[in-house]
Amino acid sequence: MVDNRCKGCRDDYVVDSKQIERVLASPMFRSDRCVSDSEYLTRLDACMSCPKLQGGTTCLVCGCIVQITAKLKEKRCPYPGEDRWSIEAVS
Amino acid sequence: MSHVITINADVSHGTINRNIYGHFSEHLGRCIYEGIWVGEDSNIPNTEGIRNDVLEALKKLKIPVLRWPGGCFADEYHWKDGIGPRENRKRMINTHWGGVVENNHFGTHEFMRLCELLECEPYISGNVGSGTVQEMSEWVEYMTFDGVSPMAEWRKENGREKPWKLKYFGVGNENWGCGGNMRPEYYADLYRQYQTYVRNYGENKVYKIACGPNVDDYRWMETVMREAHPFMDAISLHYYTIPGEFWTGKGPATGFTEQEWFTTLKKALHMDELITRHSAIMDQYDPNKRIGLIVDEWGTWYDVEPGTNPGFLYQQNTIRDALVAGLTLNIFHEHNDRVVMANIAQIVNVLQSVILTEGEKMLLTPTYHVFNMYKVHQDAERLDAHISGSEYEMDGEKIPQVSVSASKDAEGKIHVSLCNVSHDSQADVSVALRGLGGPIFKIKAEQLAADSLDAHNTFEAPDALTPSTFSAYEVEEGVLHAKLAPMSVTVFEITAG
Repeated sequence: MVDNRCKGCRDDYVVDSKQIERVLASPMFRSDRCVSDSEYLTRLDACMSCPKLQGGTTCLVCGCIVQITAKLKEKRCPYPGEDRWSIEAVS
Repeated sequence: MSHVITINADVSHGTINRNIYGHFSEHLGRCIYEGIWVGEDSNIPNTEGIRNDVLEALKKLKIPVLRWPGGCFADEYHWKDGIGPRENRKRMINTHWGGVVENNHFGTHEFMRLCELLECEPYISGNVGSGTVQEMSEWVEYMTFDGVSPMAEWRKENGREKPWKLKYFGVGNENWGCGGNMRPEYYADLYRQYQTYVRNYGENKVYKIACGPNVDDYRWMETVMREAHPFMDAISLHYYTIPGEFWTGKGPATGFTEQEWFTTLKKALHMDELITRHSAIMDQYDPNKRIGLIVDEWGTWYDVEPGTNPGFLYQQNTIRDALVAGLTLNIFHEHNDRVVMANIAQIVNVLQSVILTEGEKMLLTPTYHVFNMYKVHQDAERLDAHISGSEYEMDGEKIPQVSVSASKDAEGKIHVSLCNVSHDSQADVSVALRGLGGPIFKIKAEQLAADSLDAHNTFEAPDALTPSTFSAYEVEEGVLHAKLAPMSVTVFEITAG
């Protein structure tokens, strides 16, 4: 049987807050790979005022869900020519 | 493991159409926006809004043809939203892919400019699913009419005096699915209607491409060919290599198992059966092979990179993808009597991309390197080639360990491309070169190989996996003996005479 269902418009391509919460509840987000809570909130504040944020979740520069990547120490803000997560940018 | 290959350099099977090396660019995720288009006021160096680093890398590949604007996006795209002053263009939600805002800043003029800069042919997918006959007809008029008409005048007002040359035009995309959920009988009738009004203006002759089947939907191919074949120049086929199941988990792009490696390559080889069986149906209505088969969406499809928007289809690209590319291109060569174009999905940041970007950073993927190594086959004569040898086995399943394709270019140089798909075994190959017309006097070779299943390039280490000069070979009495590394793609250039 040929499966000709639409590939793009199913619900699993929609990002909702429950999915994000489920990811953030996984063990890796309780490890030393994560930034402190205050740094996380600082990063997220920068994302929320960024013109490259779409739908409150997605960074158009790297495609990431900011609520997830902002948690991780090794991640960097990808904004071209400007690290909006840096201390200088925040201050 | 030994493999015996015979290449008959004096037996040609016709030309390998350069368009087999085509690419696909959809308004999806970060393919167009961020990947290609950053706008003229971006900090990223650009030419009229198109990022220079990507442009430079793509020019090296000698891309022959670029498909746009979709994909599923094509049957939602209304071209009039994407012309005129950018600040006035309509903003819309791209509901298919990620729900992001589409500001229409990259439209017809920008795409045609990209093709000019890449020196490639544009291939435009028209909207059958949600567009009108008039809309499609006027788009072709807008782009190609060289006279006095409302659409030509509008084009001139928007800064383009002369019409563009447009050869390749698709009448719909995936109309069995996202392009309208149609039955083949219904689409065949719509195709006949819509294509009537895709006019040839002046010297411009449009090559009309019908929407063909998804994977092994042979009924679709049978019906559309039966009902509409006199009205088409080509028909499309879509097939993605997915190691898992589409709806329940495709599998990760990195960090996969040896079993997933094997399954992926086995599924890539399925392309050969699909082309063979669809071609057999086409033969019933088109025995002289006037109508081309265009595989305008192909490539690997995995689960998206963790933490990225699932609608953006962003995945990493490893040596596994390089082998899928090499195997598939070899298959396309073998079917050069029917396959006249193929478009890997997609060019930047989506599925099996040749380039990945992140802000101002860019990297070339292993798939890019295969396309760069293989570009020597474009428009070359495919040579008769036979292989016998060991099979690659895993858990009781077997596939050929080595894939080969050979061609002769306009200068008489012979290129032989070889893929060793085994994850752990070297392949000892003996290539008997017959009918060269003289002794071999020069050989050079390049190989892309890796030490781990998921070797790939990152923005921190963009050159971790690049091709290198290959020297593990010798020539003895006209026979080339080589030791191909596991997980490798190798291309030989042989000059004789």
